Amino acid sequence: MKIVVAYKWTRDPEEASVGADGTVDWSRAKPGLSAYDPVAIELARRLAEATGAELIGVTAGDTGVGAAIAAKAALSRGLDRTVIIEDASLKGAGRAELAAVLAGAVRHIGDVDLVVTGDSSVDVAAKMVPTLLAGELGWPAVAEVNELTGEAGTLRVQRAIPGGVQVLEVSGPAVLAAAADAAVPRVPGMKDLLAAGKKPAEHLDLASLDVPARNAVLTVTGTSRPERKSRRGQIIDTTDPAAAATELVQALHGAGVL
Amino acid sequence: MSVNVWIVVGDQPAIGNLIAVARALGEAAGADGQVAAVVAGPRPVAETVAASGVDRVVWCGLPDDAPAEASALAVADVVAADPPRVVLGGRNPGERVLLGAAAARLRAAVLTGARSVSADGDGVVVVNAVFGDISEETVAVSGPVALLMDGGSVPPAAGPGVPIEEVTAAPLGLKVIETRMFGFDEVDLGAAPRVIGIGRGLKAKEDLALIEALAEAAKAEIACSRPVAEGLNWMGKDRYIGSSGARITPQLYLAIGISGQLQHMVGVVGAETIVAINSDPNAVVFAQADYGLVGDLYQLVPAITSALK
Repeated sequence: MKIVVAYKWTRDPEEASVGADGTVDWSRAKPGLSAYDPVAIELARRLAEATGAELIGVTAGDTGVGAAIAAKAALSRGLDRTVIIEDASLKGAGRAELAAVLAGAVRHIGDVDLVVTGDSSVDVAAKMVPTLLAGELGWPAVAEVNELTGEAGTLRVQRAIPGGVQVLEVSGPAVLAAAADAAVPRVPGMKDLLAAGKKPAEHLDLASLDVPARNAVLTVTGTSRPERKSRRGQIIDTTDPAAAATELVQALHGAGVL
Repeated sequence: MSVNVWIVVGDQPAIGNLIAVARALGEAAGADGQVAAVVAGPRPVAETVAASGVDRVVWCGLPDDAPAEASALAVADVVAADPPRVVLGGRNPGERVLLGAAAARLRAAVLTGARSVSADGDGVVVVNAVFGDISEETVAVSGPVALLMDGGSVPPAAGPGVPIEEVTAAPLGLKVIETRMFGFDEVDLGAAPRVIGIGRGLKAKEDLALIEALAEAAKAEIACSRPVAEGLNWMGKDRYIGSSGARITPQLYLAIGISGQLQHMVGVVGAETIVAINSDPNAVVFAQADYGLVGDLYQLVPAITSALK
């Protein structure tokens, strides 16, 4: 069985700074493995360990996503190998384009039984790449997956629904987006990091994937900073908790919100 | 008549906002294209949608044990047969699957942070929030675009409704084997005037009793920032607030034991008043709050509960 995990090497907007005109400065944000991708790798790894499946990473993006540090970060989480499409033309690529490139990579790998992704990326958080990827491949997609068992052809997929969970049987290749709280990822140890350096990282040429162009063109004509309520930022002294509580409740009554 | 906007619908018909956006696009452009909906859920959903004021409804009849996602390719076929300017879908897992299938088939662009959408010649202009809403881009789109948006409420019946066109297609290999409900109370956080959010600062599930007492005294609903650890199943997923959860605009939001990270706070920036309680004086939440209390929540929360009585 072949399980592919799509991951992203990117920056956290928490570390970016935004100008008054809305331009985002990423220069002080260090790139890393997107926050929920280790959860996806962990979920897929448990199934791979149970079935003896090969666990293959896939990633696509701008220059830098194929650097040794990026490949090691993913490989050290338990992948057997990784496939990387690193191309400057993918800088600022939209969800649809990225999904189409990932689909090309999955087809290139061949005979893939399952693709697992994270819940969403830490920077864009669109939750659409897994479903677009499934659309590109013509496969079913399921999101909010928190348990994964079984074999290719008879996978048991548990997913969160409002108020509970549902178990689905998946009879063919599928794309599954792991819920953000699906699993606690193992922390890579020294052994994992050293082993990662020896695992194969294959670089694919974007042009060779023959990804069809999108039928739509997006042009950013301007940026702005979202209007935010200005906050009082009033710190209430808490030396005496009861007094602090009284002061807070009075202030909230005064503001008309209690 | 051609379709101007397709709305994809899964197993629940809360699409009032999508219909409003679709209608506004049609009116502004003077387009005589239709607002059409394609439903992958059970027939009663299609019936609600058919009476909601859309011009056309297509229903992908499914066997009872197939989830809405099993119709994703059928939905893509329906949309591609009458290609629109825009495809809309609500922020739910099922609708995201349907929208992804349709967008991939159309080779459409995809935007997920639309604050506003307006027609512009043959295309549209979208003001799109990006990167956890730290910035907004004005985007001119030429060609088909799929927009993920807040679906809104269930639209009231607007007349006898349009006929339901039924298509049958082989469902994708997905079958529901089992459904288990946890027994959490359902909540409509969007309708709550006061909400208390809890974060990692709360150490044990038993401590929820403290928060419940405060919630009762304040007449507030309880919510949480996204837990990342397995087994932290303290409350239903419909109580998660953040970039991949609910976004609310209550009168009062009390952030308790919450550090104030972007991924959570994006869900409450619209609150009228924000109060933060955290033991870490450097927590970024304080810069985003109207009132901040630095201290031990295990002392402060009971004190506030008393002060409210």
